[in-house]
Amino acid sequence: MMRRSKTCPICESGIRIVDYKDERVLSRFTTERGKILPSRLSGMCARHQRQLTRAIKRARHLALLPFIKGHSR
Amino acid sequence: MSRRYEVVYIFDSALEEAQVNEHLERFHELLKDADHPDPITDISHWGKRTLAYPINNKEQGYYVVAQFECGPAVLGEFERAIKLDEEVLRYLVVINEGLATVPAPMVERGERDDDERKPRHEEKKPRDDEKKPGDEGEKPRDEGEKPRDEGEKMGESVVGEEVAE
Repeated sequence: MMRRSKTCPICESGIRIVDYKDERVLSRFTTERGKILPSRLSGMCARHQRQLTRAIKRARHLALLPFIKGHSR
Repeated sequence: MSRRYEVVYIFDSALEEAQVNEHLERFHELLKDADHPDPITDISHWGKRTLAYPINNKEQGYYVVAQFECGPAVLGEFERAIKLDEEVLRYLVVINEGLATVPAPMVERGERDDDERKPRHEEKKPRDDEKKPGDEGEKPRDEGEKPRDEGEKMGESVVGEEVAE
């Protein structure tokens, strides 16, 4: 089965607060369609998963991240 | 009691920098009160960036991030003024959590994006390896989207149980 990495990738990198303006970091935790990756796949701790979710939603509002990746009219 | 806030504006990219500054001055004038004669603590212009999706049929926007400190009373009028301004495509006011990271401009971002992707693929690989011994037939499908993998796996396990019975 899918084994999750043992530690939270955000804790490991030493970031205390997830920044909504840093879309390079945020996009690592989205699927190829731009959905937020669930913590069971990313190994994110609960605290950082909450921060990440909020950050991604803010970034989407500011058009830093797409709501749907690969979507064009 | 005053609080530290952060505001991100996305202006129409057709505006010149001087015009943007004019707008900013007008907004920031509204934040001033007796306790905070100089509310703006930090301001950074990211400049023109391509939007992740079009807003008002515009593909580009001029990003400005500003940190400020003010009391709660002036915020409402401040936000109202931004909302009414048609040159502002989007804005966001949040409580400042003590961060000031500025993403690199668009040109560099492309290169760095690749760097970020590599570790993600490395994370994926071990998972794929784990699957292989169990189900050889599934190999090509593993390359698909992750959530879909999950779904298929759940399906498999159900089938497996039926066989066992």
